[in-house]
Amino acid sequence: MIKIHNLKKSFGENEVLKDINLVINPQEVVVVIGPSGSGKSTLLRCINLLETITSGHILIEGKDITDKMNDINKMRAEVGMVFQQFNLFPHKTVIENIMLAPVKVRGIAEEPARRKGLELLRKVGLEEKALAYPDSLSGGQKQRVAIARALAMEPKIMLFDEPTSALDPEVVGEVLEVMKQLAREGMTMVVVTHEMGFAREVGDRVIFMDGGYIVEENEPKQLFENPHQERTQAFLSKVL
Amino acid sequence: MDFRFDIIAEYTPFLVKGTLLTIGLSIAGILIGTVLGLLIGLGKLVNNKLAAFPFNLYITFFRGTPLFVQILLVHFGVVPLFMGETNAIIAAIIALSLNAAAYIAEIFRAGIQSIDRGQMEAARSLGMNQRQAMRYVILPQAFKRMIPPLGNEFIVLIKESSLAAVITAPEIMYWGRAMAGQYYKVWEPYLTAALIYLILTISLSFLLNRLERRLNTG
Repeated sequence: MIKIHNLKKSFGENEVLKDINLVINPQEVVVVIGPSGSGKSTLLRCINLLETITSGHILIEGKDITDKMNDINKMRAEVGMVFQQFNLFPHKTVIENIMLAPVKVRGIAEEPARRKGLELLRKVGLEEKALAYPDSLSGGQKQRVAIARALAMEPKIMLFDEPTSALDPEVVGEVLEVMKQLAREGMTMVVVTHEMGFAREVGDRVIFMDGGYIVEENEPKQLFENPHQERTQAFLSKVL
Repeated sequence: MDFRFDIIAEYTPFLVKGTLLTIGLSIAGILIGTVLGLLIGLGKLVNNKLAAFPFNLYITFFRGTPLFVQILLVHFGVVPLFMGETNAIIAAIIALSLNAAAYIAEIFRAGIQSIDRGQMEAARSLGMNQRQAMRYVILPQAFKRMIPPLGNEFIVLIKESSLAAVITAPEIMYWGRAMAGQYYKVWEPYLTAALIYLILTISLSFLLNRLERRLNTG
């Protein structure tokens, strides 16, 4: 479970997150939507401490990740992250990409790590690409490998930062399909996306952000069909 | 003009010895300069400005002053200070290494910074600490990009080792100048020296090209 209290984040003078309070429950799929510059990606990056937090607290399973006494690396290993630009390691094969962190961070032996990696590749439908280099994959395949790589660390929660925004339209579906499967298996997920169809179908809760605030949150059906806030209505009228 | 091959033949044993010393100076300079350069380059990348300051100062000094001056300073100043008397070969190795380290530090820094920020973020998001991320993700990629500029630097180093002649380190140019002085000849000694340097630098760039090709296909 994640609890976010009074989270603020500024880049210099520019306050990007202004007092965010949010609870994410186990096995919940929370979809974050909003215009660009609303702070939704920054929120995700704060949960993984890829950004230093200006003030406030983030508790993951009761542990305050902003507390310097806690080992950031250990906490990060519990949180999987999938990036818009995939960020696969180009000098390593697909299976090496997946095995690297389990072997080097968790200290798992090569063979079990490889077996686990192949199993994850099968799950995302790319077992035959195990020995390929990322450069030879399509965008959709790269993102599925990136998901498998994050899952190899057996995270308690998965963060998706616009995972389909850099993809050609015809391969968006294959990535969303993998994410849907994860959601069905009960993975706790926070997804920043512009895919309103995915939000509606898979999200347990949708959060609308604008100007550094959470403007409105609700069940997808409620939020999409009956938004209470004017800004939510204005945004939805443009994207739906 | 009669070109005197006989004096080249007479000096051949010395030129061979000189060539071996030039190769020795260059290899020592490359090895020590690369190790020092990596440390200095990493030092410059430290986020703390105060901690990075000495590394910046080092790079500024060694890139901003002539190697000729550095060689004289090391030979007549630094080496006698530590060893009591000077030694041309040691002084040449030290000066070449310190000088190359400054340039190599910049090559390392640029190579590391050229790697997309997302690579570090992905590594860290998988739970790797800074050192693991550097070692397994950033440096292997950066190293590949560093090979062409490093190759240039190594070639420059071979050529600049000729300055060691002025502090009487008996490398190629030392014997070239000796030949010129003995026979009052210009073309024979200096063209011969030029030819030897050319063979050395062409051989090195050939090796580097092969290495680059192999890494690109691997």
